[in-house]
Amino acid sequence: MIHIEGLRHHLLEIPSLTIAGPKVALIGRNGAGKTSLLELLAGIDRPKEGSITVDGEEPRTLRVGWVGEFPDHTILFSRVFDEVCSSLRFTYVPVAEAERMARETMRSLGALHLWDRATAELSGGEKALVAYAAAVVNPPRLLILDEVDSHLDERCASLISDSILHSGFQTVFCTQDMDLAAKADEVLFLDNGRVVQHGPPQEVFHALEGSCFYPNSWRMGP
Amino acid sequence: MRMEMDIIVARGGFQVACQASFGPGVHMISGQVGSGKTTLALAMASLIPYQGRLDKEGMGDVLMSFQFPEHHITASRLDDEVRSWGLDPEQVLPGIGLDDRRGSDPLHLSRGGLKRLNLACVLARDPDLLILDEPFSSLDCVAKSQLCRAIEDRKGKITLLFSHERSVLPRVDTLSHVEYGRLIHHGTVPGSIAAWQGAPPYIRQALQSGARPENITHKDVREAICRMRD
Repeated sequence: MIHIEGLRHHLLEIPSLTIAGPKVALIGRNGAGKTSLLELLAGIDRPKEGSITVDGEEPRTLRVGWVGEFPDHTILFSRVFDEVCSSLRFTYVPVAEAERMARETMRSLGALHLWDRATAELSGGEKALVAYAAAVVNPPRLLILDEVDSHLDERCASLISDSILHSGFQTVFCTQDMDLAAKADEVLFLDNGRVVQHGPPQEVFHALEGSCFYPNSWRMGP
Repeated sequence: MRMEMDIIVARGGFQVACQASFGPGVHMISGQVGSGKTTLALAMASLIPYQGRLDKEGMGDVLMSFQFPEHHITASRLDDEVRSWGLDPEQVLPGIGLDDRRGSDPLHLSRGGLKRLNLACVLARDPDLLILDEPFSSLDCVAKSQLCRAIEDRKGKITLLFSHERSVLPRVDTLSHVEYGRLIHHGTVPGSIAAWQGAPPYIRQALQSGARPENITHKDVREAICRMRD
């Protein structure tokens, strides 16, 4: 359960908000404040005014998995397996166990073929996959994803979206893919720093019918 | 004006081949993550070495928009960044809703903002050959539609659109797909739509139900489905 009270932060203004769903999609135009809100939820930034808690705790005290808008810039290691294992190595998980977990994560994402590759040679979409794998290999309490699907083709995007929707982690993700957002438990529509729609996808997208935010799969009909 | 090529590009142990010819119009080039789209796009822009023949007959300026827009940034203010393209900030920034950020550091924009800035600049330059690498990624649906209109309006010029966008696409003239290290040219639309390997789900579903869309946009596909019901 995420609680926001009296939040004022740059463009964001959210008087009171409770987010219950395990899978929450954040949607809105470029510049609506999606990334700012995600950074607050991840504890990367602290609110200038007001409070955010996750199950009563401050985000910065939690194990948060984070994939930002620029996954290609946040890759630290020169080999894919080192990158995916990194979060486990820093917590002294034995090497063999770390490799087993990392392989399992990569396999579940259909990305095991990247294991021995150099990170510098990966395509933009492959880097996003690797960054996602590194964020979930050490199970986080809260997973925050900032448009991780925007550089992926259909196959990779569906592997990641399956992982997002079926993992046990509480996840808040922003996306420009409304068909993915429509599969979340809750959708938040942010406009100019304010939450203008919040609820189950059916409700939120009903209110957005006729706009380009309406999911394509609903638009096409039978 | 025509672009003719028969090239092989090698990059980091990976190789992609392309034998194709592109005239004025919009050419959609799809392909999975890691298939070599960016490698091919960079070679076509003559930014990386290739083997073979690449003729850009009758073409003046060539511009490429990179997948990651921050790689284009050369100035520390938005208005200077626009000027670095030889353009007037007054003409460019209001159209993309960034007029009030003219003094900001471009790297303080979101990636969607950076993308809009870069696309507005390359489109305003109106080059004979425009190579767009994943131009839709990070854009919201309103900006995606605006980009589609701008691409369609490039009459008489060549636009190569490398993308795996699945929801908002412009009307295009030809379709190609990159797979197993080579570009497969499917040919002109609408004849090539049925064979297009990179077709997004809404097109595949429509084709399966027997619809024959005139082009690849949602509107075309919806119209084709309506025609079937008549």
